[in-house]
Amino acid sequence: MMDVIKNNMAPIMFVGLIFFMLIGYPAAFSLAAVGMIFGYAAISMGLFQPDFFGNMTYQLYSIISNDLLLAIPFFTLMGAILERCGLAEDLLEGFGQLFGSVRGGLSYAVIIVGAVLGAITGTVAASVIAMGVISLPVMLKYGYSVRHTTGVIAASGTITQLVPPSLVLVVLADVMGKSVGDMYKGAIGPSIIQIALFILYVFFLSIFKPKEVPALPPEARVLRGAPLLWKCAKGMIPSLVLIFLVLGTIFMGLATPTEAGAMGVVGAFALAAINRRLTWDLTWQGMDSTMRLTAMVAFILIGARVFSLVFQGVGGGHWIEGMLTNLPGGQMGFLIVVNIFVFVLAFFLDFFEIAFIVIPLLVPVATKLNIDLIWLGVLLCANIQTSFMHPPFGFALFYLRGIAPPSIKSTDIYMGAIPWLFLQIALVCILIVWPESVTYWLDKGTVMNQQQVDDALKNIIIPGMGSPGVPGGFGLPGLDPPPIKIQ
Amino acid sequence: MQGLLSLARGIDKISKAFSLIAIWFVLLASLLSAINAFVRYGLNAFIGLGKTYPGLAKGLDGIARAYSDNSNGFLEAQWYMFAGMVLFGAAWTLKVNEHVRVDLVFGAVSERTRTWIDLLGGIFFLVPFCVLMVAITYPWFYDAWRINEGSTNAGGLVRWPVKLILPVGFGLLLLQAISEIIKCVAALTSNYVREYAYEKPLQ
Repeated sequence: MMDVIKNNMAPIMFVGLIFFMLIGYPAAFSLAAVGMIFGYAAISMGLFQPDFFGNMTYQLYSIISNDLLLAIPFFTLMGAILERCGLAEDLLEGFGQLFGSVRGGLSYAVIIVGAVLGAITGTVAASVIAMGVISLPVMLKYGYSVRHTTGVIAASGTITQLVPPSLVLVVLADVMGKSVGDMYKGAIGPSIIQIALFILYVFFLSIFKPKEVPALPPEARVLRGAPLLWKCAKGMIPSLVLIFLVLGTIFMGLATPTEAGAMGVVGAFALAAINRRLTWDLTWQGMDSTMRLTAMVAFILIGARVFSLVFQGVGGGHWIEGMLTNLPGGQMGFLIVVNIFVFVLAFFLDFFEIAFIVIPLLVPVATKLNIDLIWLGVLLCANIQTSFMHPPFGFALFYLRGIAPPSIKSTDIYMGAIPWLFLQIALVCILIVWPESVTYWLDKGTVMNQQQVDDALKNIIIPGMGSPGVPGGFGLPGLDPPPIKIQ
Repeated sequence: MQGLLSLARGIDKISKAFSLIAIWFVLLASLLSAINAFVRYGLNAFIGLGKTYPGLAKGLDGIARAYSDNSNGFLEAQWYMFAGMVLFGAAWTLKVNEHVRVDLVFGAVSERTRTWIDLLGGIFFLVPFCVLMVAITYPWFYDAWRINEGSTNAGGLVRWPVKLILPVGFGLLLLQAISEIIKCVAALTSNYVREYAYEKPLQ
C-alpha cells in the first residue's frame, strides 16, 4: 500500500490540487496547503530531506527580487489612471463622429479605440470601463441592439490582453523564460488579425443585419471638417505619445518593460493633469486597488511555488511530460490538447492561476517537442483571452455589468458576448495552423560563420574596463552594449 | 466572544496601518523607476555629448558620478518596495476578501457553509502556511542581520531590511488569519455578520 502511494505521489498530488482548489478557499493558500501536506507526507516517507522546505526561501527571494513582476503594479496603476483621465472620451467621440455616417460606424470606433487603448495600457479593466461609460449610452440611444453593443464593448476591451504592452504577455514571458520584447513582437501579427476579424464581423453584420448597427442620423453628427479633425487629433496625439513612451521604448531597447510601465504611469498622470482630471481621490483609489491586485497575484505565485516545489520533487514533471509527449499527432496533438485543456481550465481558474500553475508544467514538454515558446505563449494568450468573455471569471462582462444601467439584463450581456467568443476561438485556430503569423515579426537572429565569429570575438570591448574616448570615465558599466563588429 | 472580537478589530487596525505603507510603495516605486529610467538615458546622452564636448562633460561629471555610484541602490529600492507592497498588503487584502477563489462550489453554497469553509481553511491551510513561512524566513533574515549582508551589486543596499519584510509580512498574515477565524466563529455562534461577504463576480 505504502509503495503504491510512494510511486504515485505525483498523480495523487494532482488530484489533491483539484480537490483543494474546488473547496473555494482563496487559491493562493489552497495551493500552498497542497504543497505543504504532500511535502510533509514525502518527508515522512523519506522521499525528501527533512529540511526540504528551506528551499522555499530562495523561491520567495526570486519572487520579490524579480524585476519583471514589478510591471504588474506599474501597468495596473497606469490603467487605473487612464481609465478616468478623459483620453477614451476624446478618442471615442472623435472616431464615432468620423465613422458615424456608415452603418456599424460606432462599432468600428469602439474596436479601433479598443486597439489604441490596448497599445497604451496593459489591463482590460481600463479599456472596458472607459469605453462602456462613454459608448454604451450613445450606441443604445441611436438604435444599436443591446446585445451587439455590450458584446462589441466587452470584446474590444479584451483586445488589450493580446496587444502589446499586455500584462499577460509579460507574465507569460517570465514564466516561460523568454524575453518580453520577443513576446510583444510575436503578438503584433495576432493582434492585427484579431482586429481585422472584429471589423469584418461588424461589416458583415452591417450588410446582413443592418437594423442592429444603424448609421448615425445626420443631426447626431455635429462635428464636421476642422473641429472633427481637431477632436480626433486631441485623442490621437497623446495616445501616440503614450504608445511611444511605453511600447516604443521597449521595442527600441531603451527601456525594460518594467521601466516602460513606470514611465507610462508618469505619462498617464501627465495626461490626466492636462485634462484637469487629476485628483488625489483618483490617485489614491488607483494606488489602493493596485496594491490589492499586486498582493493577490504575488501570493498566487508564492502558493504556486510551494506547490510546484513539492510537485517537481515527487516527480510530477516527468509524469506530466510522459502523458503529454506520448499524445498521438506529436506537436499538433500536443497543441490541440493543451489548448482545449487551457480553454476549459479558464472556466475555473483566472489568468494568473493558469500562468503560474499550469504553464510551468507545459513548457518542458513543449521544448522537447520543438515547439517555439513564443508561438506557444502568444497562442495561449489568445486562448486565455476568451476567459475574459465567459463566466465565472469573465472580467470584461463583470466590469461591463458594473457600469451598465440596470435596464440592461445580465442575459443580454452574456448572449451578446457569444459571437465575439467564437471570433476569438477562430483566432486561436488561425494561430495554430499558421505559426508564421507570430514568428514573422520576430528577429531571425544573425547567422555567422566561423571566420565572422572569430573576428567578432577579437573586437569585443569589455564595458567598464576603461572605455576609450570617455573623459572622466563616468560610464555606467554594462549599459552600453559591447560593440561587436560583424562583417 | 466580545473580547476576542475586539482583538480581531485590533488586528484589523494593524493590517490597515501596514496596508497604508504598501499603498504608498505603489506610487513611490513607480516614480522611482521612472526617474531611474529617465536619468539613465540622460546619462547616456551626457556620455555621448562628452565624447564631442569634453568641457561640458567635466561640469556634469559630479552629478553623473553621484548618480552612477548609487544607481544599483536605486534599482534595488524598487524591488524592496515591491516586496513591501506584496507582504505588507497581503493581510489587508485578506481582510477585504480579495484573494481570488475558485468559486465553482463556493459561489453556490449558503453564507453559513462559506463561513465554515473560511473557518476550516483558515485553521488548516492559512495558519500552518504562515507559521511555516515565518519559521523558515526568520532565521534567514537573522543570518543576513548578523553578518550585515550586503548587496552583490556595487553600491547596492544592505539585505536585511528586505529579508525582514518576509517574516513580518507572513506574521501579519498570520495575525489577520486569526482575526478572520475569530470572525467566522462569531458569525457561526452569534448574530455577528461578517463585513466583507463574498460577492460572486457574476450573477
